[in-house]
Amino acid sequence: MEFWLAWARGPAFLFAFSFMLLGLTRLVALTAWETARAMRRAGNKTLPYRQVLTATLKWLLPFGKLKDRLLLSLTSLTFHIAILIVPVFLAGHIALWARGLGISWPAIPNPLADVLTIVAIIMAVALVIQRAAARPTRALSRFQDYAIPLVVAVPFVSGFLAMHPLASPFSYEATLFVHVMSANLVFVLIPITKLSHMVLIPGVQLVSEVAWHWPPDAGSKVAVALGKENEPI
Amino acid sequence: MGKKGKYSFYVEDKALEVTERPRRFLEAFAAVLEHSNYGLPLEVYTRLSTKCSRCAASCQLYQTTGEDRDIPCHRSELLLKIFRRYFTKSGLLKARVFGGFTLTDEYLDELGEAVYRCTACRRCKSTCPMGIDHGLVTHLARWLLSEIDVVPKALLVATRVQLEGVGNTSAIPVPALKDTCEFLEEEFQDIYNRDDIKFPMDVEGAEYVFFPAVSDYLLEPDTLMGNAAVMHVTGGSWTIGTGNYDGINYGLFYSDRMMERIVKNVVAEVRRLGGKKILVGECGHATRSAWFASTFCGPDAPEVVNCLQYAWDQLRAGNIPLKEERIEERVTYHDPCNIARAGRITEEPREILNAICTDFVEMTPNRTENYCCGGGGGTVSIDEIRAFRTGLMGKRKAEQIRATGAKYLVSPCANCKKQLKEVCEDNGLDEVEVVGLHDLLLKVIDFDIGRSATDSKDAQAHAAKTEEGEGT
Repeated sequence: MEFWLAWARGPAFLFAFSFMLLGLTRLVALTAWETARAMRRAGNKTLPYRQVLTATLKWLLPFGKLKDRLLLSLTSLTFHIAILIVPVFLAGHIALWARGLGISWPAIPNPLADVLTIVAIIMAVALVIQRAAARPTRALSRFQDYAIPLVVAVPFVSGFLAMHPLASPFSYEATLFVHVMSANLVFVLIPITKLSHMVLIPGVQLVSEVAWHWPPDAGSKVAVALGKENEPI
Repeated sequence: MGKKGKYSFYVEDKALEVTERPRRFLEAFAAVLEHSNYGLPLEVYTRLSTKCSRCAASCQLYQTTGEDRDIPCHRSELLLKIFRRYFTKSGLLKARVFGGFTLTDEYLDELGEAVYRCTACRRCKSTCPMGIDHGLVTHLARWLLSEIDVVPKALLVATRVQLEGVGNTSAIPVPALKDTCEFLEEEFQDIYNRDDIKFPMDVEGAEYVFFPAVSDYLLEPDTLMGNAAVMHVTGGSWTIGTGNYDGINYGLFYSDRMMERIVKNVVAEVRRLGGKKILVGECGHATRSAWFASTFCGPDAPEVVNCLQYAWDQLRAGNIPLKEERIEERVTYHDPCNIARAGRITEEPREILNAICTDFVEMTPNRTENYCCGGGGGTVSIDEIRAFRTGLMGKRKAEQIRATGAKYLVSPCANCKKQLKEVCEDNGLDEVEVVGLHDLLLKVIDFDIGRSATDSKDAQAHAAKTEEGEGT
């Protein structure tokens, strides 16, 4: 077990975390490149920057958007806050960064981390229940839409058990192994699933605006490509 | 008469020939992705779409039908699925390994029906946490479908007449246009005792070249007289070009290819006359299409001014003399999606209405959050789906209008006006009168003070005073 735990915390983590970082960097770079290319090709190069910025900020800090669907919005917002804070500011995690790379930052108290962890787990389950319970979401949902919140919840459940070994029915090593490996799985999933919204969201309002900025002759070129330039309407 | 085939709207016969439609659709898709900028949003949207269904709550159609297919995100997914499968590496790989989704004729039929159950009003965009513009996806899907001839016959035929026939969507020949304008000039004589208010034709070097929805010449004489009256009292330099006098652009509704040609024709007419600016009449989509002039014709394309912007600038400057009496009946205002959704023209019409009416009430929600009239995206021109437009699509709007208790429902848009008249007829709102904003303005312009724009300090003082009085 010790060998496997060391493997999970060593090479497997290194692979998963690098995969995530490189994958996200690639996504951001590609999107930025494509956006710049679209604007280079566009006939009208003016953009309503202020409007785009406002829309972006409104969704990055969506407190003003809660009222539309209050329960779902609150669930989602709380979920996001909890899953962002705990992994980054847990004292135990920071200690690992300090040991490995010699960097550190302030931690949150462990009791707060416990509370946020439980909140994250409850909200993940609540998200799935709400998705299944409401007709429009049920109609839209794919397998991954149900699976992803639950997969994200696994490191929190196992992390909580690892922090409270006396309350855990499983061995500490096994719990920790599941914790590290499930987190590794999430890292790998981030750049290749909708979880990539964590880096794409700041740019999407801009993308949606740029999308209406067409190359001046796109229509005629499409006509030529399809051999329709002389075809009557 | 056309055939409906599998759709609720009439299509031309060739749309029903199903030879290799999926292949042709994908060829068109590939060509569009290569030459346009649509690849960027599709790439991002396919990654981001979280299926949260917040958009469902914002859609007036879904609010009424509750049908899964009317969820904006569901509609967008129809196209995103094709994109993901055929134009992303992971999709191609997945298809090779697992098989799965293949584009079929039935699927294209479903898409064709779906994108014309949407008015592309873009209300759902502001409720999408991922910033997905479902209106854009519908817009693109309609273009791609039109390349395999799936397009409502009403839109196609009007565009054909405009680009290959008489030159405008209502098929009004120049002599008939001149007759109409002369008739309206006589109306000024008969009603207002003014023989100097003109509809100037082909004046070279005019500042503004006027492009209303051409249907106004048939259906909305009061709006046009209002436009002419405003131009007259303000001494505006304007003209109607007999080479092209139609602001309507159905390309916006079904094909960027057609849209490009129509916008270029508008710009060409302005340049032929040596005009400076495009003055768009009371029409939402004509305004939004004209805003694309710099897209298609470069940065030196003529500036686009909507007649509401012009009228408010002039009223604010005290150049439009108003009578003492105001419009006392209750007035409400419908924001046309194409000018209001992005927040571009929302305040000018309200300022004008506040200046000329004593009882102006807002609909809720309004401005960028307004509900579509139910006939947007060209659907208002498709007569055979009227029951759908005024029933399912228009129900929410009818409730909004009823709640205001207004006598006059003002909407500065030819499309919205036609649709709203039908919504009122079909939903028992018989007491409501749907009018353009210039129709009301015409009622209160004081021609006796405004002999001409240059002489009347009185007029300016009067307008300034009344504006103050209204506390706008």
